[in-house]
Amino acid sequence: MDIGTIVAGILTLCILSFLYRDNPIYKMAETLLIGVSIGYTLVIVWSTTLVDILFEPLFSESKLALIIPFVLGLLMFSRFHRRTASLSKIPIAVLIGSGAGVAIPVMLEARTLKQMSATVMPLISGSGWPDISALVVMVGVVCTLTYFYFSREHKGVLGKSARLGTYFLMIFFGTTFGFTVMSRMSTFIGRMEFLLTDFLRIIK
Amino acid sequence: MKLETRHWTFLGLFVVITIVMLLPIRLSVPVSEQTQKMYDFIESLPPNSILLISFDHEASALPEIRPVGLAIVRHAFAKGHRLIGLSLFAEGTVIGYRMMQNVAAEYGREYGKDYVYLGFKPQYIAAILSMGESIPRTFPEDYMGRPYEELELLRGVHNYDDVAAVISIADGSLTTHWMEYGAARYNLTVLAGVTAAMVTTYDPYIASGQMYTLVGGLRGAAEYESLIGREGGGSRGMLAQSTAHIYVLLLIVLGNVIYFLTRRKRGL
Repeated sequence: MDIGTIVAGILTLCILSFLYRDNPIYKMAETLLIGVSIGYTLVIVWSTTLVDILFEPLFSESKLALIIPFVLGLLMFSRFHRRTASLSKIPIAVLIGSGAGVAIPVMLEARTLKQMSATVMPLISGSGWPDISALVVMVGVVCTLTYFYFSREHKGVLGKSARLGTYFLMIFFGTTFGFTVMSRMSTFIGRMEFLLTDFLRIIK
Repeated sequence: MKLETRHWTFLGLFVVITIVMLLPIRLSVPVSEQTQKMYDFIESLPPNSILLISFDHEASALPEIRPVGLAIVRHAFAKGHRLIGLSLFAEGTVIGYRMMQNVAAEYGREYGKDYVYLGFKPQYIAAILSMGESIPRTFPEDYMGRPYEELELLRGVHNYDDVAAVISIADGSLTTHWMEYGAARYNLTVLAGVTAAMVTTYDPYIASGQMYTLVGGLRGAAEYESLIGREGGGSRGMLAQSTAHIYVLLLIVLGNVIYFLTRRKRGL
């Protein structure tokens, strides 16, 4: 058995010990996980971002335009001192401005317009029969939206529609929760398979 | 050492899963429409097609996401397609590289000719947009530091027009950005292998046609493994998964029975 499997097996058991209660062994494994994750990410970001994209082109290939992002990046650190903290607003403004500029049209297109057009489907199918799926989508969208309409009291037709909307929401939450339980079980099963197969070698 | 209700619950789950995993029984799973679509898509591509595989996940999701990724990469290699791997999450970088390396060795595929790993690129939105303009400018070198133009597979690959699709192996919402920036702006076909928890997030995108299809969670992996005829973590975990779900259902029923009985006892 290689050293990696032994370490992974022991750490998995340390993490699972939390199921009994919070304890120092669990804390040690948790701290190790956070430390290793941050350390690993830091190394990757240092080598693939700062060195490859910034330092090498700037200092070895003299691409002077890179001074601008370099200075903006440095200004982020001005937050650490009260006197210079306001300077950090410059890179933040650039980040938010460019980010919003890129994101807003795309978000509108992908998350709103495309989704809206997918909601508006013909209610009669090609065979001449009502398309149940399209009907459910339409009723679901309208009723759920009325639930979030707060300008009038939810009474009468509006109230009934909003109530039906809550059922659609509950179905969505239930489905999502069900999938989440399935996901967490899968993770646990995956670790159990590792423990029983690779670590303890009970299963061949 | 006093055991409380939650301890018994966990202990029960542990015992149930351990016993079930020791049984040499494999559960057959009906293949869902979405998984079948993924399989058919890869099948329908002409041999030597180029696919982008983006490992957009963290190490914590590995037990669930690895069987999905493995099944898809195995199928793609078995069909003779060429793969370009990358990662938009730092943690996924080496995981993706090792997976591609191992599966390529299984199928006797050669690095540089049949597959290439470009490595990690930070700022995923900027990376996706930049690749739409020029992949060599976004990744001037591969993961091992070899210049882009020196790798045979990459010589004809300039941007998304030169790849058949991207398959995002993700544990979070990163696939959304492939759709929002890659598909909407550059007409890139987006497919995904995701954790079960993310399936409901992506369903509306499949319905709207923004995402072609997805393979979801361990069950999706089991379905895909049955399609390619290769057993893996998905198939092995299905009996345990089903039993665990029955166990949870029984606990819910039991909890409700106890709740109503105690309520009646208290005269509420």
